[in-house]
Order: sequence, then C-alpha cells, then structure tokens
Amino acid sequence: MKASALLKRYHGGFVVIRLALGGCTNRPFYRIVAAFNKRARDSKYIEQLGTYDPLPNKYNEKLVSLNYGRIKYWIGCGAHTTKPVAKLLGLSGFFPLHPMTVTEAERKRKRAELMKAQPDGDRAEEEEQDKKEQEA
Amino acid sequence: MAAPGMVHWVRIWSSCLKNVQRQGSGRVVCASRVSYSSSSDTGEGGFPKMQFADEKVQDILTQITGLDLQKVFRPVKEELKPPAYKLMTDAQLQEANSRAVEEARRRLKMTPVLPERKPIQDILAHDKVLAGMETAKYVFTDITFETPHRQRFVVVREPDGCLRKASWEERDRMIQVYFPKHGRKITPPPIFQEANLKNVYRQDQHEALLDLCLAQFEPDSAEYKKVHRLTYEDIEKQGKYNLLRSTRHFGGMAWHLVMSRNVDGLLVDMLQRDLVHDAVSLVSLFNLVHPQSESAEEARKLNAKGLDLLKVYAKEESQRAGYIELALQAHQRTF
Repeated sequence: MKASALLKRYHGGFVVIRLALGGCTNRPFYRIVAAFNKRARDSKYIEQLGTYDPLPNKYNEKLVSLNYGRIKYWIGCGAHTTKPVAKLLGLSGFFPLHPMTVTEAERKRKRAELMKAQPDGDRAEEEEQDKKEQEA
Repeated sequence: MAAPGMVHWVRIWSSCLKNVQRQGSGRVVCASRVSYSSSSDTGEGGFPKMQFADEKVQDILTQITGLDLQKVFRPVKEELKPPAYKLMTDAQLQEANSRAVEEARRRLKMTPVLPERKPIQDILAHDKVLAGMETAKYVFTDITFETPHRQRFVVVREPDGCLRKASWEERDRMIQVYFPKHGRKITPPPIFQEANLKNVYRQDQHEALLDLCLAQFEPDSAEYKKVHRLTYEDIEKQGKYNLLRSTRHFGGMAWHLVMSRNVDGLLVDMLQRDLVHDAVSLVSLFNLVHPQSESAEEARKLNAKGLDLLKVYAKEESQRAGYIELALQAHQRTF
C-alpha cells in the first residue's frame, strides 16, 4: 500500500505499527495502530490492530488485544514497529523478547537489591535532604 | 454413535428474570477441543455406553419433553403493538399451525450436556530474566475475527516471567470483553450464589434461572453444571416437574435424573397426569442407559413392552413400587 500519488512532499515514508494515545486526563488508553510514519500520533490511521490498557484492572491484569493475522500482514508489507509495540509483542511471545525489556528488568533488580542492602544509607540521605529544606 | 462435534449456539435475549424473549440465530462454532464421545465407547458387559447426544436418547427425551404450544408461545413482555387479525381459510390455518409447530420444535432444542472441562495448565515459556519487572499480569488476547472462540489464543505473562495459557475463567472474561455476547455479563450476577438460588426456587422461577445460566456460562463449565444440578435437585425434591415440561431444559433434567437413578418422582408425576406413553419411554430410556440394572435384564428376558415395562420397573428397581402400581391400576380402570 503506498501513500497517495498526489502527495509530493512525502517520499520514502513507511508504515509503522505504533501506539496511538486516547482516553481521558490521568487515564491513558492506547490503540495499536498501523499508520504512515509522518502522520500525527493520534490522527488518521490505516487500520487498528489492537488495544493496550496500561492501568491494571481489578484482577491486576493489563489487557492487551492483538490482531495477529493483520499484524503479520502489515509486517509482511514492510511495516516497522516502534519500541513499545515491539516490547509488547515480545512479552506476548509473538516476537522474541526485546533486549531493552531484559536490560530494564536487570536494572530494576539491581536497584531493588541496592535498596535492600543499604536501607540505613538511604535514610541518612533523606534526613540530610529534610534538614536542607528546613534551613532554606 | 456419537454426534459430530458441532455445537449450535442460540442467542438468548434475557434482560431480567420475568422478560425472556427467545430469538434463534444459529451460529455454528467448531468445538475441536470439546469431544462428545467418552474415552471408552463400550460400557460394562459389552453394552454400548449411552451418551446424551445419541439419537435414541435424544428421540426419547424430545418425546417426553412434550410440545405444549400454549406454553412455548406464551405472551412475553414486548413493545405494545395493535393486534393483527388475519382472515384465513382452513387450509391456511392448518399451514400456520404446522409452521407454529416447527417454530416450537426449534425453540425446544435441547440444551447441551457436555463433560466438565479440564483446567488448562499449559506453560509456553518461563523467562526468569523478567522476574520482578512488573507488578501486574499482562493478558494478550488474539482478536482475529474469523477464529472460533474455542481456538482463540489467550495468553498471560505473569510478573515472575512465566508465559502461560489463560485459564478457562480468564478466557471467558476476555472473550466477553472483546466479543460481547448479549445477555452475558463479565462477572456472573449474584443470583447464582447459593443463598439467592433458594429465593429463586421459592418463587418457582426455575426456567428463567436456567435460561440466564445458559446465557451466562459455557455449557461445559463447572458453574453451569452446578447451577443445573442444584435446580434439578430442587425440582425433584419438590416434585415441580411441570415447571420444565415443554421447555428446552426438560431433556437435560430427565437425563440428569436417569443418570442419578432418581426416576421415581418423575414417573409418578407422569402417571398422575395420564402421560403413560411418556412414562413408558422414560423407563425404556432408563433401561438403555443402565443395561446392567435388574429392571433392564428382566425386561429383556420377558421382552416386555408398554405397560409391562412399567410393571417390571416397579417390581425391580423403584423405591416407590406401591405408588406406581396404584397409578397403573387407576389408569387401567379408566381405560
């Protein structure tokens, strides 16, 4: 599928599968969407391929719907995926795990271990910060 | 012997208990994971093991369900329309009648009785590197329109990095979120809790409750079977068999009673209402399903037919033999 032949300022564009933001204030909701890459994030897209709800529901689940058939078609047409979409597809098992997912998991684990290993050091830092705020 | 593995879904519009309006629109779903036939086709003693979907069983059950047109087409709360009067010849009236009978037969199509579904425990992958990254699970649903719901992929990524197939309850919930079925709620309504069921039974609303249950749950789920079992037991305890007669649920009830060998109450009720043919077919169904029981063996020995079957059953198997014999004598005196 190509952009319209009349568009003279859009060359070398491509289709992306990305997240389009919707929802309300303090309540994001993403649609997984195939769109031309130069289009605005929330504007006219070619096809909706799924949804992603980043806030967990009462069963502590984040719901993601993916139309695997159509995603396969668009990737077959040469669509690119953005990083968050690639991460979601990796988590679902459709793509291999994204390397940044693994890296972030390791970073988080290291930070968690540091916090556990030096609780007193952190508390001392917090007390210093409080004193400075009182003086200022 | 077993019917092919196809389930016909009928969409039921039930807004509240009292207003139940049935509309048929067949949607055939390939239930490739659900198989009707049990693992062994021959039961004890070389006799074929009878399943709910067998032709003989279905014939007997349709026959004892009856076809009361007045009950099937009883007035249902609808939008007010002025009544339509038609002038018909006798032939046209007969044709309209036969069409009504066809429609009633379609509405009385029996609810499915399937073996209980086994829990899903497949793990697709376990990536320990992801442990501790998230606090919430991710549930991925495949929303391809053409796939049948039973073959849809619903997959859960746990916070500890395990990628597993979703359990039946999660699957039903997700499919209801993305492909909502009319009359089904995401969380089952509180009427299906045991305390509320008792209220329903007190108000004689068994049929409406079973319609709601059919709309809400899948036929092979544990809750569906539990609600049906409790309803049938309550009907059997109170003897309110007529509530379900000429509805789609009568066949299921008769099957449940025959499988649990509690046929006496239903038999007595049939004889009291002068439905001797139905009583005979019920006993023949019992003999079909339990070919090793004493009444079945006696019947085969004596080659009993008709009322003799009832007498054999009364003598051998029933606990209320006196009742049945009294009712038989009363029936024979009137004819």
